[in-house]
Formats: sequence, C-alpha cells, structure tokens
Amino acid sequence: MLPTSPEYYCVVAVLFFAFWLVRSKQVPALALILTVNLFFYARWGLIYLALVPLAATCDFFLARGMSVRPKGKLRSFLLLLSLVLNIGLIAFCRYVPGYLTAAGILLPLSLSFYAFQALTYTLDVYRGDAKPVASYLAYLSSVTFFPTIVAGPITRVASLAPQWNWKGKVLSSEDGSRALFLIGLGLFKKFLIADYLAANLVNRVFDLPSLYSGGEVLAAVYGYSFQLYYDFSGYSDMAIGSALLLGIRLPANFNLPYLAENLPDFWRRWHISFSNWLRDYLYFALPGPRTKVMPYLNLIITMAIGGLWHGIGWTFFIWGVLHGVGLAFFRLWQALRSGMTGKPAAAKKQTGTLAGRVFARLLTFHFVLLTWIFFRASSVDAALQVLSQIGNAFARQKFAFDNVTPAFLAVLLIAAIAHFAPAKRFESGGVWFSRTPAVLQAAALVLLTVAIQLVSSSGAAPFIYSKF
Amino acid sequence: MNDTSTLPRRTALAIGAFAIFSAALPYLPGPRRFAGLGLDEFKLALAIPLPKAAEIREIKPEPATIAKPAPLEPLATPNLTFAPGSLQTFFAALERTGNKEPGAVTRILHYGDSPTTADSITSDVRRLLQGRFGDAGHGFLLIAKPWAWYGHAGMKLDGEGWQIEPASQARAVDGFHGLGGVSFRGQAGATSTVGLTEDHTRVIVYYVAQPGGGDFALRSGEVQLGEVHTAADEKKPAFAEFPLGPGQRNIELRVTSGSVRLFGYRFDRGNSGVQYSSLGVNGAQVQMALRSFEVGQWTAALQHEDPDLVVLNYGTNESIYPEYIAKQYPEELRKVILRIRQAVPRASVLVMSPMDRGVLEGGEIVTPPALLQLIDVQKRIAAETGCAFFNTFEAMGGAGTMGRWYHMQPRLVSADFIHPLPQGAAKVGTLFEQALLQAYESASR
Repeated sequence: MLPTSPEYYCVVAVLFFAFWLVRSKQVPALALILTVNLFFYARWGLIYLALVPLAATCDFFLARGMSVRPKGKLRSFLLLLSLVLNIGLIAFCRYVPGYLTAAGILLPLSLSFYAFQALTYTLDVYRGDAKPVASYLAYLSSVTFFPTIVAGPITRVASLAPQWNWKGKVLSSEDGSRALFLIGLGLFKKFLIADYLAANLVNRVFDLPSLYSGGEVLAAVYGYSFQLYYDFSGYSDMAIGSALLLGIRLPANFNLPYLAENLPDFWRRWHISFSNWLRDYLYFALPGPRTKVMPYLNLIITMAIGGLWHGIGWTFFIWGVLHGVGLAFFRLWQALRSGMTGKPAAAKKQTGTLAGRVFARLLTFHFVLLTWIFFRASSVDAALQVLSQIGNAFARQKFAFDNVTPAFLAVLLIAAIAHFAPAKRFESGGVWFSRTPAVLQAAALVLLTVAIQLVSSSGAAPFIYSKF
Repeated sequence: MNDTSTLPRRTALAIGAFAIFSAALPYLPGPRRFAGLGLDEFKLALAIPLPKAAEIREIKPEPATIAKPAPLEPLATPNLTFAPGSLQTFFAALERTGNKEPGAVTRILHYGDSPTTADSITSDVRRLLQGRFGDAGHGFLLIAKPWAWYGHAGMKLDGEGWQIEPASQARAVDGFHGLGGVSFRGQAGATSTVGLTEDHTRVIVYYVAQPGGGDFALRSGEVQLGEVHTAADEKKPAFAEFPLGPGQRNIELRVTSGSVRLFGYRFDRGNSGVQYSSLGVNGAQVQMALRSFEVGQWTAALQHEDPDLVVLNYGTNESIYPEYIAKQYPEELRKVILRIRQAVPRASVLVMSPMDRGVLEGGEIVTPPALLQLIDVQKRIAAETGCAFFNTFEAMGGAGTMGRWYHMQPRLVSADFIHPLPQGAAKVGTLFEQALLQAYESASR
C-alpha cells in the first residue's frame, strides 16, 4: 500500500483518530502503532508477518547481548550475526527462491530500508553510540514504522524510539498543518511532476533511445533528473507528513540537491538519510582513514557499494564508481588547494564569486545528470546509446524536438523553477497553509486530488525507490 | 507541541472535512466523475491479499470472433477474417512468386502509424515473407527522416536541407503527399543519402513534375546515375527510374538547381519475390488519408505501384475518442477503402486492427473500452466492403495483453503502453505473417 493510494490515507486517517484517543496510555498506543505497521507489511504479503518480527526480535536480543558484553569477541560475533541477518534479508527479498515463487509466494517489497534501519540500531549499540531500547514494543514499533518501510527516510532507531515517550506533548496545530501540507506537497510532486515527466517522454526515450533525436534524448535526460528528484522527495514528504500526524519527526531526506556547489555538497542534499548511513556505517568503518591513499579509495568503494545496493548490475556499479571517483577527485583537489594556499579545506563553506558559484552549481548538476543516465538505463549499451544520441546532436548541431510537447516543456520548466527558486518561498507556502482555517486546508487538499485526477488520468506509477 | 488537549482538534477537523469533501466528490455534477474516499476505499484498505499461485498466462492466438453476423462467412483462420475471393489477387500473386515465375513480384503496401514509421512489425513481416518467397527488393523509402526514429531495416537514410511536410502534421496545402504520406521540398544543395546492405537493380524516385521545377541528380560514389529536370507544363506526380549496378549500395540524391519536390524512393531487385513497403506516418489516423491526401496524386502513386495487397493499419491514434469512433469513424474508414478500391481495383485490401493499448487504472494496465469499439467498427466495415480483416488485438491475446507484455521479462512493449519493443514487434509480425500464410495455404488447397 503506497502513499499514492486512497487506501493508504484511509488507514492513516483512522490511525490518526485512534492513536490520539489512546496515546495517553503508552502500551496500547504502541500496540496500535505496531499493529498498523504489521498490517502494512501484511498488505505487501503475509510472509512479511513472519520475516519482519522474527528479524527484528533477533536484532533486539543481539543488541541486548552486545550491551551486556561491552568488550570481547562475542560482541563482534553478535554484530556479525546482525549484519548477516539483515544483509541476508535484503538478498532474500531481492532474489526470491524459486520454490517460493512457484508456491505463489512473492516478495514485492524489498526490505532494504527496513534492514538499513535495523542495522543503525545494532551498529550504534555495538559502537556505544546508543543504548539498547528498554521496551521491546517501542523497539518493534520504531524499526517497523510504516511510513519508512517502502523508501525511507532511513531513520536511526536511536532517534525514533525516544519519540514514543510523549508525556505532556501533543500535536500542535502548526505541526498538524505542516503534516498535511507535506502530504499534499508530496502528492503534487509525485503525480503532477514526476509521473507526468515519466509518462510523457522520459520512459519512452529510455526504452528506445535510438528512436529519438539527440535533442529529445537530452530533454528526456533533464526530465529524468527532475522526475527522480520529485518522485523520491515526494515520497519522503508524504512519509514525513504521515509520521508527523502522529507527532513523530523523521529526518529530512532532500535539501534542494541540484543547488549543490560540489559533489560532497550534493550528497549532503540528496537522499540524506542514505548518504549519512553510507558515511557513518560503511565509509568510517573502512580501513586506513589516516593514510594518504585509502580515504580516496574508500570513497570509491563506498559509492560503488552504494551503487550496487540499487541493483546488481554494471549500470549501477558505473553510477556508483563515477560518484566515488568524483568525490575522490574533489577531495584531492581540495587537498592540493589547501596545500597551495596553506588554508584548511572547507567544502561546506561558500566561497568565490557569484559567477564562480553558479558555474560550480552548473558543473555539479551536469555531472550528476550524466551519471543519472547510467542509473536509469536498462543496460550499459542503452546508456551509451543515450550518450551517443546526445553526442551526435552536438556534433551535427542538429536538435529536433518534435516529441517534446509544450506541456512537457512547461512541466519541466515548473519543476526546474520550483527546485531552483529560493527555499523561503516554499517555507512561506507551508506557513500560509498552516494559518489557513482547517476546512480550507481540507478543501485545498480535495482540489489537489481533483487536479491529480484531471492531469494524471493514468494513475500513479510505482515509486522509483520502492524497488531498491 | 504545546497544546494541552489530547486530540489535535484543528488537524482532526481538517482530516474530517477532507474525508467528507472527498466522499462527496463522486457525486459532483458534470461530465466527469471524480473518485473520492468512500466505503469502497475503506474496504479495499482493509483487504489483505492471500497467497495464490502466480498468474503466468501463455499468450496464444485465439480464434477469430465476429460480434455480429457478417454478410460473408469468414474462413476458419485464426484472427484473419476474409470473404472468399477478397484476398484472391494477393494469393494469386503469392502463388506466381512461389513458383518463381519470371518477374513475379508480390507487392504489398502497408499503411500505418507510429510503429510503421520505425518499420516495426513490418520489417518482421517483410523478413518472414521474403525468407519464404524471395526478396524482390526493399520497396518504398522516404527521402529523409521526418521523425528521428524513422528507419527501415537494412537501410541507412540521411538527409539535409529539406522542408518536410508529413500529412499528419505540417501537411502540404495542395495535398500532394505521395505514396508515403510525406512531401519533401528542397532547394539546390539539399541532399538525401541511402545506404543499402544488399545489391538492388533499380531505384525509382517519386517526385512532382511542376512548372518552374528544379533539377536533381543521383550518384553512387563517383558514378553519376542520372539527372532529372522536374519542370513540366502542369503539376503531376512523376517517377524517374535509375538502374543500379552491382556494388552500388550508397546512393546520393542532390538538388542541383532550383526547387524540387520529392516523395521517396523505391528499390527493386529485378527478381521474383515479395516487396513489402512500410508506409508509416507518425500520428496517422484514417482521416489523414481522407482529408490530407489529394485524391488524384494518391491514385497515381497507387496505380504506379499496382499493389497486390494494401494493408490499412490505423486505429491506435483514434482509439481514445469514443464519440468520434461511434459517429464519424465508420464512414471515414469506408471512404478511404473506397478510394483505394477506385485507384487500384485489382488489389486485395486488408484492414489490420491496432495492437492492444494500455492505460493505468488503479495501478492496473487495462485496455481502454474505446479500442474495443474501434476494432468492432473495423471488423464490420471490412466485412461490408469485402476487405480481409486481421484482428491484431485478439491475436496478441485480447484485452489486457499490453499489461501482460509490459510485465514480461524481457519486456515486449514500451512504457507508454502503446508502442512495441523489438521483441514485441517481432511477435506481432510473426502472428500476422502466420495468419496470412495459413489463409494462403487453406485457399490453395
């Protein structure tokens, strides 16, 4: 059940009322949350009712075991068990055994977001960065929290579990309005931008790039970069909004990523919960952080693994390696520059002229755009075909746009402007929405559903990240 | 979070109001019915799917069905319905070709929409028929690519400096669109190059002879094949033939002076066999042939070809307009068939239905009802006008095939749920070719 379906909101609405009616009593409230979490898993397949609680229970007790043995090999062994369990779970769901398929048992939901979330718990406990959650119910409710099961944001159990202690706190009207605003914004992003771009050019071009002119292929590549952003950030908005209706704050997953001035900056803005996870639990765990060469190599390894997480294939591997090499190159460039100037490198700090910063943004955006071709293409050959079509168009100086309709162009333009416009405008939109009377808020959301039905008569496409 | 009440009243009010407004949506007056939140959605939300055996359906051609009794009895050939004698010209030509009679060429013209512009499906039918009956040459090819994906299997095509007028889009005012539905105007310096993978013995250029017409020349490498002066007293379609020698596989056409207007090439091999011309126009509908093809010049182009079979494969672009299908479409289809019959009375005519088409409804890829309506009309008009009818839609597997083919690994159709991918096109092409051959064989017995 995806946040684009009416059924999802039926459940969320019922849960909202039920939860706030019982929330003063923690155990019934947590039991309610856990029941709904498991109900969502059951909607994907009854097998998840066995897999998820079993895996979660194992992790709960493994973490307990680690906490009572602060040092020693047993502790490492328990962590290894948790790693094998969760990585095995991802592999099991991705490559469903044939006998299960033959028996009609399918695993449509990849459990990778669950597994990443579960690993934050055991890894944090192992490192001593977090204490084990005392309540089994609170742990299960956190690690299986329904808004995050399809595509994140990957939320540390250590930051989620304490939020169940809500004594004396209720949902303010500002937070409630913000939750509804985020859900509406997510639906807008998903249906009216991402799906529109996909259905009206992007999918067709990536299916058969040789059938389209270089100009059209280029338009589709730009379209895909915004489709992916609006699809995934739209999902994240809906997930964050759904959680906020219950008073739970999930971490932000996007921060205008195409405004990044360099590649590290991009990864601080794109799929933030995933890049933080890779940094904290993979990159920092790799050997040789103080050596001269290993940090560069580790960046490439981290990003290559990150790429392969999206799917075992050369396209994702190349995508990851390109980003890894880009990050390593930027780190080297910074090191060389700080060596020359004698000043410490500061990637986060905004320096340089306005023109320089605009150029840096364009360069970063187009590097990311180039790598998306490999991320989206069905094979390396197909990706090369896309690049060749674009290259030929530039070589011949011939750009035909017969298949780029004015409506597609308009949506692409809106998508770009909305992304590059000052963030304050969106924040003020949220503030304006929260000040609007409740009935008008409802009316605005209903109007949005009408607009979606008018524009997107073909229904919602699956979220891109739901398959990873 | 600083309120003291338990239930967040404002948010609860907003959610409650949304539920009420949304439940009222389906009852809004107006032509369009909107979906909202209702009891059905709540019931759906609570439904947990129980495990069941995976649905793997083999796609098999199904026997032809006729919705209403047709005036003529169909023969029992899967999905190909035809009255006795309606394919006689085609079958007789195939027989002569099959017997390798000297110069026995079976010439087929296949009019279609976007898949045909990419020689999708048609290239597979051509390959299969030529594999069995012999290759009489590639047939018709446009002067340049009106659409980036335009192309023909086994040919390379490029062009520079043409003003291109496809009948479905920037149509020519005078309706002169030639055999293939596209007009090309070029000034001195405009070029068209064709690369062949096999030797052909002759190329014919289709052009407009007209007052004040310029000149164009053909060459292959360093060899000048000939020059044509298109100036004439009156405007009319004309055809210029150039012999091709062994190894002359790269042809360049260049406008040498003035302004010329061209339609395309035809490549012949000089031996018996099948020639299958793919005549696709992007976005084409049957009304394009009716409204945008000037009758006289189209007739001349058809008569020059003297085809044994004309395939009319339109319908996808009409299949989302139920009112048009109900009111204007039957008569327009009938008129186009009549024009072909008047132009080339000897030729067999076959109406080929569009493929299945998919639209997303509640996450499912389903067939739009108007497509079924359109196919019923095509079937009826074909029967009434003595044409053969091939039900591509049923041959593929009927309603919902687009969804099944989309979910197959490897996928058979594109993500727009309209266009076939090469594997899907090959499947449809094979189904069509098999149906033609079965009918031919049953008629031969």
